[in-house]
Amino acid sequence: MSKSTLSTTKVTLEDPQKKKKKFSPYWITAALFPIIMLTWYVITEIRVLHPILMPGPEAVLKAVPKVFGSETFVMHATRTLTEIVGGFALGATVGFILGLLLGSSNVLRAAYLPVLSAMEAVPTVIIAPLLIAWLGFGFEGKIVQAAFACFYAVFITTLSGLALANANSVSLMQSLGASKIQTLLKLRIPSALPVIFGGLQLGATIAIIGAIVSEFVGADAGLGFLLLRYRSSYDTPSAWVLIFCFLAIGIATYLIISLAEKKIVFWRAAAITRPDLEKK
Amino acid sequence: MTSIVLGSKKTQQTTKPNQRKATEVQKNNDSNVLVRLEGVSKKYQSGSNEIIALSGLDLEAREGEFLSLLGPSGCGKSTALNIMGGLLQASEGKVSIAGEEMTKPRRDIGMMFQQAVMFPWRTTIENVLLPIEVFGLNKKDYVAKAEELLAMVGMSEFANSYPWQLSGGMQQRAALCRVLIHHPKLLLLDEPFGALDEFTRESMNQELLRLQSHSGSTAVLVTHNIAEAVFMSDRIAVMTSRPGRLIGVIDVPFARPRTPDLYGDPEFTKLVVKARQMLGLA
Amino acid sequence: MSSSADIRSRGKALRKQTKSTKQSMLVGGLTLVVFLVLWELLPTIGVLNRVLIPTLTDTIWGLGQLVSGGYWWEDLGSTLSSVVIAWTIGVTFGITMGVTLGTSPFIRTAITPYAIALQALPKIVLAPVLIGALGFGSQSKIAIAVAICFFPVWINTMVGLALPSAAEFTFMKSLNASRVQVFRKLQLPSSVPIVLVGMKHAMLLSFTGVLVAEILSSASNGLGKLVKEFSLQLNMPLSLAVITVVLTIAVSLVSIMDVLERKVVFWSESERGKNS
Repeated sequence: MSKSTLSTTKVTLEDPQKKKKKFSPYWITAALFPIIMLTWYVITEIRVLHPILMPGPEAVLKAVPKVFGSETFVMHATRTLTEIVGGFALGATVGFILGLLLGSSNVLRAAYLPVLSAMEAVPTVIIAPLLIAWLGFGFEGKIVQAAFACFYAVFITTLSGLALANANSVSLMQSLGASKIQTLLKLRIPSALPVIFGGLQLGATIAIIGAIVSEFVGADAGLGFLLLRYRSSYDTPSAWVLIFCFLAIGIATYLIISLAEKKIVFWRAAAITRPDLEKK
Repeated sequence: MTSIVLGSKKTQQTTKPNQRKATEVQKNNDSNVLVRLEGVSKKYQSGSNEIIALSGLDLEAREGEFLSLLGPSGCGKSTALNIMGGLLQASEGKVSIAGEEMTKPRRDIGMMFQQAVMFPWRTTIENVLLPIEVFGLNKKDYVAKAEELLAMVGMSEFANSYPWQLSGGMQQRAALCRVLIHHPKLLLLDEPFGALDEFTRESMNQELLRLQSHSGSTAVLVTHNIAEAVFMSDRIAVMTSRPGRLIGVIDVPFARPRTPDLYGDPEFTKLVVKARQMLGLA
Repeated sequence: MSSSADIRSRGKALRKQTKSTKQSMLVGGLTLVVFLVLWELLPTIGVLNRVLIPTLTDTIWGLGQLVSGGYWWEDLGSTLSSVVIAWTIGVTFGITMGVTLGTSPFIRTAITPYAIALQALPKIVLAPVLIGALGFGSQSKIAIAVAICFFPVWINTMVGLALPSAAEFTFMKSLNASRVQVFRKLQLPSSVPIVLVGMKHAMLLSFTGVLVAEILSSASNGLGKLVKEFSLQLNMPLSLAVITVVLTIAVSLVSIMDVLERKVVFWSESERGKNS
């Protein structure tokens, strides 16, 4: 094991300035977009599916001014957005309050957490027909649907977020003689905010889905209702325009909440770029 | 008078442990150098700035010896270690292990880091045997060796426990077994016990010395603790930062095995002071 | 990207930490009793419209009628089989995509913007188009459910493969492990907990997708169709009865997955209920 001979092997000198050419992955990202568009075009040209079912890019583009220009479009869009925002606001508020309540009292938590957790498993769409029977085709039912669907995400992240404050910080507040409410407001809630925003993002997505599904089941207005109408009149290009609208709504929601998070939880980004300071 | 026979692992002892010897003959002979760094530099580009982590390092580690790399943060000691282990490429200079050019990690080198890095889905003994699996060797042949190593560090009863059931010190003990399972010629240790408390650290260092002399491996230890460097090593490479470079090498002639009463020996203190001076502290 | 896996594991960790005391059982039990009593009472005395909101006993009677009537078994079977088939396809597809695209950090970064866009699209809006393309039968049901449920599995697989820390990757590098070895011995085991969470979530989404498809299309069968029909006819007891069945099935399916998860990933941090 100890035998070794040192031969005079010369090692090549490495050029200290040698830099590996950095090929950014985002070139691939950019390249994929025209590839996807091209594939779409080709598929529809060779008619894999009947053009009524799967329109090509030009047909969809042509339908854009038609859809946006129709006099009722703004009304439908406003209606759906109201449902989404209203449902999300209601659900998030209820979720947040429930989270605060259960987070502040161990008794309440032990009593209600099992039941509330079961909500996680429920496909909330199932109550859509029920809500329509109870509340009609109007926006009220949609708001309730969306709220019911999304409250859990905000609730559970609030609840677990409140427990995140580390032991040392809690001890500090105690040593200052802070009351429970003060600790809640000055320590626990701020510590919980990053996680709560995660719940808000998810909740927003779920609220959108809830509103749309509810419109599918039965409505008198709204973008989902409009989508069904286009579909049943075989105006598929217009239907696809609406699908892209929904994509835009989804992206916009994500961006808005991210922006809000950056402003409100401004310290988080800094902590991430200074890992030496981030508490483990 | 003791002499060191070239190429052998043990020194013949006719003196008490820790008694310093009048003369020490270390033949600087090519045939017992295991690791050789010649003119090694490591530079990074950070934006428009060039960061020099290591500048013109000339260093040797001889077979069977315990070498420490001692210095403050930023002196390049971890960089040098990673270059020796093949995790980093030197910007300039020659790196050779047992006469061969160093390009990538090798099976005859074992590395230990400050974090134990135990996989939580494997039991302790399965973690110890991980290198064997990666090297494509027959696990069955090494089970006995793994059990023997665990016994030597007092972890036999935890062989089938999971890492998250063990303390930090115990996980590092297991990591020590894992680094020795494949009989590496060279041990590269990057402050492996730095995260542990003083008492655990001392006992772990004793374990390390015991296992190292038992296996006859060469060891290179990165540390910023002067007393630890003097206690553990045969030689200490003292380094400083900005740019990272070698100041000098201190010979530590105490005999082995080393025992804790060495700490009280005035010659020990002299060497610590010498190191402090070299580092600009005293 | 997706925090749904995060949310599920938080819920689980919380449930583990919460201990029942006598007090809490009293509070919980009392709430339940009050709820049941009100449910029975209010429609009976007319505070709530009994037609719209049937009493507890009405609902139970409806449940009995449903089961004895016999005609619901076909619907039950249709829904359940579609859910399970769609889930299986979605999970397979999601894991395959995740492994193909997630092992290399380069590819993962390249496709992340598209993944975010796909996540932002409420995929349920594809339902009408898919029904149009595939008809009213179980194919469209399954297609819609797959489209919705594969996503969390895909995302979680990709996230899971990237979970190991830099120290763990460096350690494998120090052993000169090959790419395949790093994948098999480090990335794959690390990803199992989060992939399982994604699979659980996919179960819920598959169920949702199937139900929506059933509600949307006029000619299908299934529990969704039943709820829609009964509600339209204002036959609320039966409608509520079916809803209760759906709730029970959903909770059971997820509970089964919870048990499986506990067995397989006993070693992961979320299972051990590590306190944050």
